Amino acid sequence: MDVFIQIVASGLTLGAMYAVATVGLSLVYGSLNMLNMAHGAILTLGGYLCYAGIQHLGLHPALALAGAAALCAVVGLLIYLGAALPLLRAEGFETNIFIATIGIGSILENLMLKGFGPYPIPQPLAVPGHVVLGNVHVPLQNLFILGVAVVLMAAVAFVLERTRTGRAIRATSMNREAAQLMGVRVGRVYAQVLAVSGALAAVSGVMISSIATLSPVMGGDPMLKAFIVCVVAGLGNVYGAVVAAIVLGLLEAATQYILGVRWSFATLLLIVILVLIWRPYGLFGRTQVVRL
Amino acid sequence: MAEPVLAIHDVAAGYDGRRVLDGVDLVVPAGRLTAIIGPNGHGKSTLLKAISGLVRVSAGSIALHGTRIDGLRPDQIVERGVIQVPQGDLLFPGMTVLDNLLMGAYRQDAARDAGARLDMVFTLLPKLKERRHQIAGTLSGGERRMCGIGRGLMAGDGLLMLDEPSLGLAPIVIDQIYEVIFDLCAAGRTILLVEENAQRITERADSIHLLDNGRFVWSGIGAELMARPEIIEAYLGA
Repeated sequence: MDVFIQIVASGLTLGAMYAVATVGLSLVYGSLNMLNMAHGAILTLGGYLCYAGIQHLGLHPALALAGAAALCAVVGLLIYLGAALPLLRAEGFETNIFIATIGIGSILENLMLKGFGPYPIPQPLAVPGHVVLGNVHVPLQNLFILGVAVVLMAAVAFVLERTRTGRAIRATSMNREAAQLMGVRVGRVYAQVLAVSGALAAVSGVMISSIATLSPVMGGDPMLKAFIVCVVAGLGNVYGAVVAAIVLGLLEAATQYILGVRWSFATLLLIVILVLIWRPYGLFGRTQVVRL
Repeated sequence: MAEPVLAIHDVAAGYDGRRVLDGVDLVVPAGRLTAIIGPNGHGKSTLLKAISGLVRVSAGSIALHGTRIDGLRPDQIVERGVIQVPQGDLLFPGMTVLDNLLMGAYRQDAARDAGARLDMVFTLLPKLKERRHQIAGTLSGGERRMCGIGRGLMAGDGLLMLDEPSLGLAPIVIDQIYEVIFDLCAAGRTILLVEENAQRITERADSIHLLDNGRFVWSGIGAELMARPEIIEAYLGA
């Protein structure tokens, strides 16, 4: 029983972090067909900005977190204006933006390497203490991460489902031309989605670095996992991505306990392969049904 | 004559350097049903897309109530009251019927009285009210078409452009769709209709324009068209 609680507690924490990292990626792919390879670097940047805010500017941790999210939203916006917008005018957008964002990610990573150095730094945003469940000590940090993730996911869902802006985002991802015919300014939707994605990446970066450490390359692993979650869920499916992220988090925690840490990533990839053989469009992938 | 709603002058447009429209002139008067007929692949849909700003106009001008709209973004053109119900519906398949209709009222001034518009659409198309919580991708062809037209009506008053509303539907469903369209005409709505099936509209359209190979080759009223069997035979194969 204690082992079970342990696995669920760390699995949910992992899943929550993956979910926050994935939703932005999924939103961006859904509306622009854009695989944002700079996502991991933005995530890392968020972690460092929060660190810098607390350590160097002496900000309140909550303020530092919000500031990091806001600045990373600006970075998302700049990626739209500087890379996506010009590339959208030409042929082969999907390939071009894929390569362009690899470059942007690399630049960001190297700037952070220059600015913060190569050595791991602890993330000062930490919630001390723990609760005891059975014989298991669950750190409050984990519950905090879970709570932030739930609030963020609920907010994203509310915006997507209940607001005019959210409906426009969903409409654009389902049919760009029809959305334009409804009067949606798709350029603005793209900018909004990339900004939101940047902010979410920053928050997940802070969360991940708070239980691991900060380093310039820390974004690579969560981004890879976020892509895996996206593919398993069906690219562009936001709600599927949340479910898949949590399930994969739990699976990862379970394999780490049962088989050992070194098997966890291999198991994850094995699951992806099996899912894609079984359902090539992902678990929740849209297979268009057209009745005439 | 009062100023027309839409005045198209000498328009050329196309895709990737291939000209589909060349030297198109058209006037859409207020409160009338203007129909464009013609064989497939000769630019009817392209003309509607050019008006909506989805296809760039490379020469000529398009004016709405005397103000040029060519060169504007599609959303700006919609905001000025040019509403298109595109060919093949282009619904948002993963949304409910209700959300699709609400997307129709995305325009700023349409969003304000979306509630009243929704009642109007449900009165005109009662089937949509029954299906309002159904996911649009699971509707039948006729229901999808009605949802598409209802979504267009949600956008408010203005020029309504319908691209082949009868396409791919059973004759009895086509009758239902046209009943709705003719009701709108009777209510004084300005409509620009693209239709391949000329017989459907010869009696009701106020003017008919035959588009062939990217330009209008004949214009007139239905009775005149019926008196020219050679046109019908040559262009519409009936």
